[in-house]
Amino acid sequence: MNRVRVIGCGNPDAGDDALGLLAVRSARDRVPEAVEVIEAGTSARVIDLLSDVDAVVLVDAVRSAGAATDGGVIRLVAVGGEVLLGVRTSLSSHGLGLAEMLGLAAALGPLPHVVFLGLEADHVAMGSGLSAPVAAGLPALVDAVVAEARALAEKPVP
Amino acid sequence: MTHRSVEVPVIARVEGEGALHLKVDGNEIIDLRLEIYEPPRYFESFLRGRHFSEVPDITARICGICPVAYQMSSIHGFEELFGVEVPEGTRELRRLLYLGEWIESHTLHIFLLAAPDFLGMHDAIEMAAAEPVLVKKALAIKRLGNDMMAAIGGREIHPVSPRVGGFSKAPRMRDLEGFVGRLEDALAELPGIADFAAGLQVPELPRETEMVGMTHPDEYAIVEGGMASTSGRVFPVAEFETITYEEHVEHSNALHSVMTDTGAPYFVGPLARYNLNEAQLTPVARDCARRLGLSVPQMDPFFSMAARVAELAYSIEDALRLLRAYEPPDPPFVEVTPRAGRATWATEAPRGTLYHRYDVDDEGIVLEAKIVPPTAQNLRRMEEDLRQFVPSVLDRPDEELTRLCEMVVRNYDPCISCATHFLRLDIQRG
Repeated sequence: MNRVRVIGCGNPDAGDDALGLLAVRSARDRVPEAVEVIEAGTSARVIDLLSDVDAVVLVDAVRSAGAATDGGVIRLVAVGGEVLLGVRTSLSSHGLGLAEMLGLAAALGPLPHVVFLGLEADHVAMGSGLSAPVAAGLPALVDAVVAEARALAEKPVP
Repeated sequence: MTHRSVEVPVIARVEGEGALHLKVDGNEIIDLRLEIYEPPRYFESFLRGRHFSEVPDITARICGICPVAYQMSSIHGFEELFGVEVPEGTRELRRLLYLGEWIESHTLHIFLLAAPDFLGMHDAIEMAAAEPVLVKKALAIKRLGNDMMAAIGGREIHPVSPRVGGFSKAPRMRDLEGFVGRLEDALAELPGIADFAAGLQVPELPRETEMVGMTHPDEYAIVEGGMASTSGRVFPVAEFETITYEEHVEHSNALHSVMTDTGAPYFVGPLARYNLNEAQLTPVARDCARRLGLSVPQMDPFFSMAARVAELAYSIEDALRLLRAYEPPDPPFVEVTPRAGRATWATEAPRGTLYHRYDVDDEGIVLEAKIVPPTAQNLRRMEEDLRQFVPSVLDRPDEELTRLCEMVVRNYDPCISCATHFLRLDIQRG
């Protein structure tokens, strides 16, 4: 059995940004017991959560320029940190994003097998809930998170 | 050189979050505007009609990096208004929780944001490749702060355990004793970290300003105390909104804080606290300050990094003191009976003074809320610093000019994008 950690990122009060938290919360009861599920909030915490595991599933909302999806779900596999797309500096400690955190971890040592799952964000504003398209896509994302976590826990990590 | 325009988006592709706009004609600045989106404004209206007991949890969600600061300013404000006396153990546990936040936030800024700037590197990733041992040590210290917050706060994000009247559940000594060794290990790294920081190429920006922060007769003020400034002002937190003034700015939605009597901007944050409270620092913190060439008074904002290193050492030393004497508060919380009135409180968030005010009715329902975060107070000061700094670097190419402007802003450790944190994804195919 591989050690697997599922990490949801997001802000619960900022529209579609809550997606990662909501998705892992829903997935929590459906993943194998040994899979650790963490609602991590800011991505600055993710850097602490990449050690002592074989595989990590990261779940977050995305703004992409039309990334390919499978039924709306964007899936990216980071091997050795090569999925560090759009890495850029930020003026704020809160702006240290997921890509920066993965890049930092990769610069310091081997990464676990990292799979990113998310949906394209539609609307982000303080005080709003999920947008209709993201709410509609949430069940498929939860299914994808569960399937990924099960597969990673039970099969050899690629 | 004629008209030149530099736009530094703070956050790409997220609307309304802010940016730096700079227009120059030759060596003259035509327009310089720093726009920063401030989530607290939304929360002020969201808090109206809420019961006081809900407020700490709601305000904790304003910021993913400093939830404890937001909780503590609101909790203490209500306790003072309602006449709640908490046991000494509660007071100490709150300080310990807050120190965890300082450790995490300061380490994040020193190593992942400020140091790459002063090393002339693109970002922390480049720095990690060049200085892997140092960055690993830094990340271990950052994690230590996070783990303290999770162990005391009862949850990974947005601590749930602090409440008006105490803690819903206080950790046992055996939940916390593992932190002693980790804090001692971290403290042993601090002189080396100070020497590293002292070796960085930090620009100079000599200028005078009024620095504002909290003071307390018995300790380096964090969770409680009165207000003071480097110009000799001393005033209670209850007068915060009289002594300072939030000016509406035409060009943005932001409010800019100034001193009411002089109309001048002021400065909050680690360097302000250092100038006001240096005498209360602990031995390793003072040694770090000495290694960094920091002494009172120091008004150059680029010494903020040095002050942050000294405060990081202080946080670790003070956390050790509190942990070694720790006994769970008994009872963990005391009952609270609301009464109508105005609650005001401030605490020292990692970035500076965080002021809260709540008007509540006799059932403890919030009628009006006001939150003045440190970044909002520093905005005008940041703009003034940029106005002074930019002419000296206008001969540089756009890319470098942009980087230097970012450095001036980033030096303040502004709280900009707590609201959102997308994975920004640029697909590159090739």
